[in-house]
Amino acid sequence: MSLWSHELRLFLRQPLAAPLLALLLLLASASVWAGLAEITRQHAAIDRILPQQAADEAAVAAWATREGDAGNVAYYTHYATWDRPSPLAFAALGQRDVAPFVLRIRALALEGQINESEAYNAELALPGRFDWAFVLTYLAPLFIIVLLHDLVSSEREGGRLLLLTVMARSETALWVRRVVLRVGLVILTLVLPLAVGGLLSGAGQPILGMAGLAAAYAVFWALVCVAVGRFRLASVTSAATLAAVWLIMTLVLPGLALLAINAAVPVRQGVELTLAQREAVHAGWDKPKEATLAAFFREEPAWRDTAPMRSGFHWKWYYAFQHLGDLSVAEQVRAYRAGLERRNALSGRIGLLLPPVGLQMVLHRLAETDLVAQLTYQDRIRRYHRELRHFFYPFLFREQPFGPADFARAPRWRDSADTPRPPRPGA
Amino acid sequence: MSPIRLMAANDWRLMARSRVAQLALLMLLALAAVAALTAIAHRDHSNDLRARFQAQADQDFDGQPARHPHRMVHYGHFVFRPLPALAGFDPGVDAFTGSTIFLEGHRQNSANFGDVRQSSLLARFGQLSPAFVLQVLAPLVLIFIGFGLIAAERERGTLRLLRVHGRSAGEVLRGKLLALAGIAAVLLLPACLALAWLTVSAQAEPVAAVLLTIGYAGYLGLWVTGVVTVSALTRSARGALMALLGLWAVTTILVPRIGSDVALRMAPLPTRLETDIAIQRDLHRIGDSHNPDDPHFAAFKAGLLARYKVSRVEDLPLNYRGLVAMEGERLTAGLFDRYAEAQFARQRRQAEVVNGLALLSPAVAVRSLSMALAGTDLEGHRRFLRQAEAYRYTIVQGLNRLQAEAVTYVDDGNRNSDPEAARRVRIDPRHWHDVPDFTYRSAGLGERIRAAAPGAAVLAVWLVLAAGALGLAARRLGRDL
Repeated sequence: MSLWSHELRLFLRQPLAAPLLALLLLLASASVWAGLAEITRQHAAIDRILPQQAADEAAVAAWATREGDAGNVAYYTHYATWDRPSPLAFAALGQRDVAPFVLRIRALALEGQINESEAYNAELALPGRFDWAFVLTYLAPLFIIVLLHDLVSSEREGGRLLLLTVMARSETALWVRRVVLRVGLVILTLVLPLAVGGLLSGAGQPILGMAGLAAAYAVFWALVCVAVGRFRLASVTSAATLAAVWLIMTLVLPGLALLAINAAVPVRQGVELTLAQREAVHAGWDKPKEATLAAFFREEPAWRDTAPMRSGFHWKWYYAFQHLGDLSVAEQVRAYRAGLERRNALSGRIGLLLPPVGLQMVLHRLAETDLVAQLTYQDRIRRYHRELRHFFYPFLFREQPFGPADFARAPRWRDSADTPRPPRPGA
Repeated sequence: MSPIRLMAANDWRLMARSRVAQLALLMLLALAAVAALTAIAHRDHSNDLRARFQAQADQDFDGQPARHPHRMVHYGHFVFRPLPALAGFDPGVDAFTGSTIFLEGHRQNSANFGDVRQSSLLARFGQLSPAFVLQVLAPLVLIFIGFGLIAAERERGTLRLLRVHGRSAGEVLRGKLLALAGIAAVLLLPACLALAWLTVSAQAEPVAAVLLTIGYAGYLGLWVTGVVTVSALTRSARGALMALLGLWAVTTILVPRIGSDVALRMAPLPTRLETDIAIQRDLHRIGDSHNPDDPHFAAFKAGLLARYKVSRVEDLPLNYRGLVAMEGERLTAGLFDRYAEAQFARQRRQAEVVNGLALLSPAVAVRSLSMALAGTDLEGHRRFLRQAEAYRYTIVQGLNRLQAEAVTYVDDGNRNSDPEAARRVRIDPRHWHDVPDFTYRSAGLGERIRAAAPGAAVLAVWLVLAAGALGLAARRLGRDL
């Protein structure tokens, strides 16, 4: 034990060591604080929306239920959906700054609504956010490089190397001790703020997964430093080499990988299906109504026995062709989604080769802030939209009058069961 | 040859022999070539695709059958944002902003299908483009090649040899500056070629290309000065390397990210959902066409009846429903404009915060200068949003006017009960051809240069400061020699 404390004293006596660790601790803490502030803001935005949404619905209900026609209600009422950040989201904000986390939908055709964007400032999204995942992925390796690049070479250049190797009981044990000590301190510096953030946000056990990833990533960079150290380069050359490795791994290769993946998996289906769906929906106006309804009943046989249409317009026909519009592009929707998932899967495979990419992928999966989380939210919206449609169908197809009491019975969006609301840090 | 040129030539000979310098330079040139080729190809491809989609949307619109004009209001139109030529050099925020908007009556939809939302997290590692290479990677190469220019000579003791040969500290520094500036010029070369290609192949304005080159030359010049200064001021080559790497990490990696967080904190944006609700609420207050007793529309009706000296809307020479649609659209569009401008103003406040931080980071300054000159900054997207909204208003009001003029009030009221009326309200599809197509007017050169001015000013300030620091370094070096 005394050997360890001796090494610690030696290490901390180096002019750069303590200031560097303090700086890293400051950066990691600031990033955790910024992440917590951001998810608090997102929770607050959702909480702020709920009463506004209720007032908006009440205003629609006041006039739309007057005639008792469910068609009007379904047409004019926007239903709110939202996607609360997971308790771990503070550590890796991911795509939540560019993908909407609140979205309103109507019981009309969904494909024209589900890809709507949030009004965010693209120039602020461009450099990315300052979160813990950023500090870990980009900055922590630089700190490790500074602390480890001259582990052996500084002793050699100081003329102490021979003495050290002669005096040490085991040369390997000496270097292992020194590496473990330095990396251990870096890991501690990174994980402590994360743990505090996890406690504040109520993240619970999954935080251990993130901490474990941080440790593994730090060890990876330590091994890179040790490997470069074996070439017996001068301190300055090994620092330059390691910085170059860092640059290639965190900026250059991910950039090239993105170019390759986006070229290999084009996803223009998104625009194509949106154009096609509009054509399908609006062509519905001009098709024979009986044919439209018959096609709809093949999908929704429960309403087959509805009364035949008498006049030129009936909401049930309108909602039937809205839904058929969605169904007409179902294949493209699947292809679009498959393209997005393929892009994500390929990135994951790149991650197996490039630790920074792999780390980001896993961190954001744990935090549920990645592309998959975005698609999961969309799936929930699809299910909710289906619920909404089926809520209105009896009123439309059985021509039941729709009153204010029915308005209150409409299905409501709920927080998903697996993301309990965390205690609000700093609130 | 002048002594300064001689010294620089000597340094170049040394660099040509150094593995590190060779490798760094070759790697960066290869990367710059890849970045230029892919960015230009991506820009051309995206622009073609958008043009094709736009042509299809125009064709779809014109090809609609005979319809009630209000149905065309809801059929709507799609518009696509073309990519400026210089997006092949600096794609800017293009991937972060949607490239297409669906335009329809009474609603303002968002621009959708930005690349970033359609990509994995890899997209957040930064997109390889000539601009990215120059902003982020080129300074590192200058650091790798230049950190030892003076510090290593001092360690080796060769600095004193120069003194013996009668060289002053200023001359030594100028020689080193020239040597590293030569490397910077080589780094700039692929980007210049890319810019030249874009002026030829995609009709990018030569003036913008030249200004971009000057801007980046200034930025790299700043790093050249910084590297030489730090190398002259630090005792060891390793100290110089560490200091420069730290400077690079803070100014190009850390500050831009912190800038975003600070700006979002100081000037938060409301969500789209809140804006939608606020617009509905205001609309309800100023005029609700669904409410039969609404005072605004009651006054509107009374005004119309008085103007045409009739007592019933049925007797108006125009279809009252069409006139109400026009009035309703006028009210909503006014609100859309007001809220959009408020949103834009908030975004600009955020940009001001970030620009304030550019004083800490020349990388932020050159990024804003570059995007502004390339026309790929957020202002370019705002232009598109504004023009799309203006176009939406024009076509919707044109169609509403058709409803007022080409469809009678009686037919409009009976269209669902009387098949003959239903036939008559479907007006001739030649009207759809008369609706003008959307043409995006990109920002003029003058406007873009004005937008680039703040970034250029910050860079100039940095250059002056760096020159001052270099003077300091010269005095210190003079004492050392």
